[in-house]
Amino acid sequence: MPSEAEWEVVLLSVRVAALAVAASLLPGILLGWLLARWQHPLRALLQGVVMLPLVLPPVVTGYLLLFLLGRSRPLGRAWHALTGGYIAYTTAACVIAAAVVGFPLLVEAIRLAVLGVDRRLEQVSRSLGRGALDTFARVTLPLSLPGVLAGAVLSYARALGEFGATIVLAGNVAGETRTIPVAVYTLLNVRDGEAGILRLTAVSVALALAALLGSFWLSARQRRA
Amino acid sequence: MLELRVRHRFRGFALDVELATEGPVLGVFGPSASGKTTLLHALAGLLRPQQARIAMRGRELCVRPGGRWLPPEARQLALVTQDPLLFPHRSVRGNLAFAPGAAQRLASEAGRRVLEVLRVEPLLERGVDHLSGGERQRVALGRALLAGPELLLLDEPTSSLDAELSREVLGLLLRVKRELGVPMVFITHRAAELLALADDCAVLDAGRLVAQGPPVEVLKRPRALGVANLVGVDNLLRLPVLAHDEPGGVTLLDLGSGLRLAAPLCDALPGARVDVGFYADEVLLCLEPPAGLSARNALPCEVRAVDVLGHEVLAELRLGEIRVRARLTPLAARELGLAAGTRAVAVVKTAGIHHLG
Repeated sequence: MPSEAEWEVVLLSVRVAALAVAASLLPGILLGWLLARWQHPLRALLQGVVMLPLVLPPVVTGYLLLFLLGRSRPLGRAWHALTGGYIAYTTAACVIAAAVVGFPLLVEAIRLAVLGVDRRLEQVSRSLGRGALDTFARVTLPLSLPGVLAGAVLSYARALGEFGATIVLAGNVAGETRTIPVAVYTLLNVRDGEAGILRLTAVSVALALAALLGSFWLSARQRRA
Repeated sequence: MLELRVRHRFRGFALDVELATEGPVLGVFGPSASGKTTLLHALAGLLRPQQARIAMRGRELCVRPGGRWLPPEARQLALVTQDPLLFPHRSVRGNLAFAPGAAQRLASEAGRRVLEVLRVEPLLERGVDHLSGGERQRVALGRALLAGPELLLLDEPTSSLDAELSREVLGLLLRVKRELGVPMVFITHRAAELLALADDCAVLDAGRLVAQGPPVEVLKRPRALGVANLVGVDNLLRLPVLAHDEPGGVTLLDLGSGLRLAAPLCDALPGARVDVGFYADEVLLCLEPPAGLSARNALPCEVRAVDVLGHEVLAELRLGEIRVRARLTPLAARELGLAAGTRAVAVVKTAGIHHLG
């Protein structure tokens, strides 16, 4: 059985991933919708920027975040003004790293789901007297919901496994930023750490598999709808 | 009722139409790619034309460039398309109650009347995936009517249905027009629908308005209007009623010059004009008056013109004061020696004649 410290690591991971998904859901839906429906030459550029964390080495993404959120940068100062602290090496940094890295998966799933909604249904809704936002809430969102949920589950799974950006931006503080991957990396450098690694690995596999199966099940529902 | 001027160019196609109509039902007729749907989308606000002025009963919906632009949801023009496009995540009731205020309308006396005319009451609690094609189109019509539109926009509402269901939906549209009094603009490529439903008809071809007027008038000159291939070579006639023979099951119509056409019994008063149609294929030609014939019409006629169109021949005949077309094979035309001036007898079965409207 995992020790108390290991449970702490697992719970922190689950909490960080959940917060990351919760924070990215609304902007993810907005961007996914925009990328599916916005007809503009700049759309490709926007899509490229959103997808960037998927192809950049996570350590580079982490460095970019550190650069943007640093103490002397505008975003870092705004954070300081709001909370009185600095973002690096906190649980918040963990959440930000996990959210940014999982974001492309969320947006892409939502974009594809919105593309799967017949535009003519939206046109009919408009002509029946429902405005653009109302139509989104009553037609587009409900019809793409399984895709949105699948994207959320997938980005949640990605957030659980986040290591590169996390280690750069959030470091390795027990109870604050030591998530499962960071803990495994730490145990690798410890004599007799193998048993702990195996236990954490088992939990990781179980969590990831559950998330993936959930995501498959949800996308299958979208296809049937 | 409706004034519109729309100019819009895109991908090698230009729509340039100006028309005004008093309705209450305007039929827009034309071949595919003539700009009918583009015009309807401009009216609905689903397309922003480059130049346009659209006004409904004096209320401006769109003046472009630079003027007023009402989004589709503010126009009170409910759209019904060829594909019923029901919302798959809602039940029939959920679809009917979709528009703002539709739930209250559904519960009102007027709403119950809509359900009754469209016969959707028994479907209310069903899911939309289990409806038949005709039922879906009925629900789509109900959903549009319950939005309380000033005008109903219909984009070929029957063309995805088979002949029998098309007739059923056409019948419903007639009831909607007569009993609910909702004005409509509807697109069709079927001449019979135009005759049955429209009060005014606009013919589009290649993005331009080529004719406008009462459907019977417009469809009488299909060749001049370039819509002959759409109208087909059907014979569409508006004729005065002479008398009824109820036991015989026929109504006699006046062709002029003492000739009468026996059509199926109808209830129009003698003297009133009725619209009838029959296919050119339904007309047989004989050089001698036939004897012992079941067909009720054997009418002396004169061939005015003979057109060869590929593997068929169209003979234009003068019957009394009117013109009728007959379709036959080149072989038959040759054996009969048909030419302009040939005198013959045209035979038409009463059952082949259809009342329109």
